[in-house]
Amino acid sequence: MPTLTLKIYKRVWLLFLLVGLSSGLNKVWAEDGGLLLEVIDPYLELHTGPGRGYPIFYVIEEGERVEVITRQPGWYEVRSRNNQLGWVPEKQIARTMQASGEPADLPTVSYGDYLTKGWLVGFSSGAFSKGELKNADNLKVTVGYRPLSWLVLEAESGKFYAPETRGSYLGLNIVVEPVSRWKLSPAIFYGGGTMDIEAQPELVPLGFSSSDMENYGLRVNYYVGRNFLVNIEHRWFDVSIDDNNVELEGWFIGFNTFF
Amino acid sequence: MVYRFQYILLKRNISAAFCQLLILCSLCSAVCAQDSGAKSGAINSEFFEVGAYSGVINVEDFGSEFFAGVNANFKATEDFFLQFNYMQTKVSLSSFERSQGQLFSGSDRNFTHYDFLVGYNLFQGEIFKSNRTATLSALYVVAGVGETDFGGEANFSYTLGLGYQVALSRKFILRFDYRDFSFKSSLLVEDELTHSSQVSSGISYLF
Repeated sequence: MPTLTLKIYKRVWLLFLLVGLSSGLNKVWAEDGGLLLEVIDPYLELHTGPGRGYPIFYVIEEGERVEVITRQPGWYEVRSRNNQLGWVPEKQIARTMQASGEPADLPTVSYGDYLTKGWLVGFSSGAFSKGELKNADNLKVTVGYRPLSWLVLEAESGKFYAPETRGSYLGLNIVVEPVSRWKLSPAIFYGGGTMDIEAQPELVPLGFSSSDMENYGLRVNYYVGRNFLVNIEHRWFDVSIDDNNVELEGWFIGFNTFF
Repeated sequence: MVYRFQYILLKRNISAAFCQLLILCSLCSAVCAQDSGAKSGAINSEFFEVGAYSGVINVEDFGSEFFAGVNANFKATEDFFLQFNYMQTKVSLSSFERSQGQLFSGSDRNFTHYDFLVGYNLFQGEIFKSNRTATLSALYVVAGVGETDFGGEANFSYTLGLGYQVALSRKFILRFDYRDFSFKSSLLVEDELTHSSQVSSGISYLF
């Protein structure tokens, strides 16, 4: 019986020792708080700057430790044991981490899902394609929050420029994006707000000021990088001006960043 | 013989206790490693740049003016960035107005422009200040939309531009830019497509 217990102990001990060693060796924290990683690839190339156009000036060998210091889109700045500072592509760092058997605690290369509880800021431009304001140019700024991977709440402030009128609108939209982890991902949205229209030059008042507005539309999101989203949307507006419903349609292209 | 068994059993107990201690230690180290994993926020992220710039703008049908502006950049990928610019200046009388009379006055003479741009880094490289020191540089193009307010008009405008950036230090970046703002104006001629071009230099702080 004691022999059996000892065997079990030995196995458990070996297991925990392995777990302890693997997590301890591959990822520990430097004294000043920086993250230390062990190079598991045959080598790690350091670039002078965070971009593929910047030249490689140093190579770190397998088994050496590097300290991760700064992150820029797609790149990490690392310091080698002999104080060489350089930039490494995110993909190379992620691959190193995965080879170590560690779950990635540096942001992984994926889309959508990791954005949950993240903020989104961007702008879009376009033109009305149908209705009384046809061909009026549009410009809008968007701020969004993603409480769930498939849901975005966004607030927007827009302006449009028709030959003899100028207008602005404020709105809140609910965006449903069923599969946000796809690089090319469709979404639908619905929202409402207010729209103001005024004459330009401001010689004759139009006789109405603020109007209620509803809008809905279809959107295709394209995640260019981990922090960059381009989208194209078609939108239908329903504006109530003096008990009349004015219908507008428009195409928009948007550029967004998130963090 | 009995003593010998007792001795071995006792030794085994000691080794078992030793094993337990090691297990605890390795457990602790694993937990510590996981705790520190949650600290990955300790890695400094650099996505934003804010800056100020100044230069000369040539307003079509009017004159050239010195101006000042502020901007903000967001690094979206290693190639793309988003930029917001806001600039303002006061336009003095054009030669046409000097001879024919002032067209408008007061706050209408303020030329205000803001835009939202997408930028793309064309060529990333280094400048060698000396044989041993190199600083990062990039040539980029920008395009976008915005609004220009001038002469009582608020016009939708397109912006196209070319710029060059050089890192002064790790955090400060020097920029040289050329921009062209095109918009339809009815100040002199009905629906005239005007181009106002600007050259500027500025400094940005990366954080």
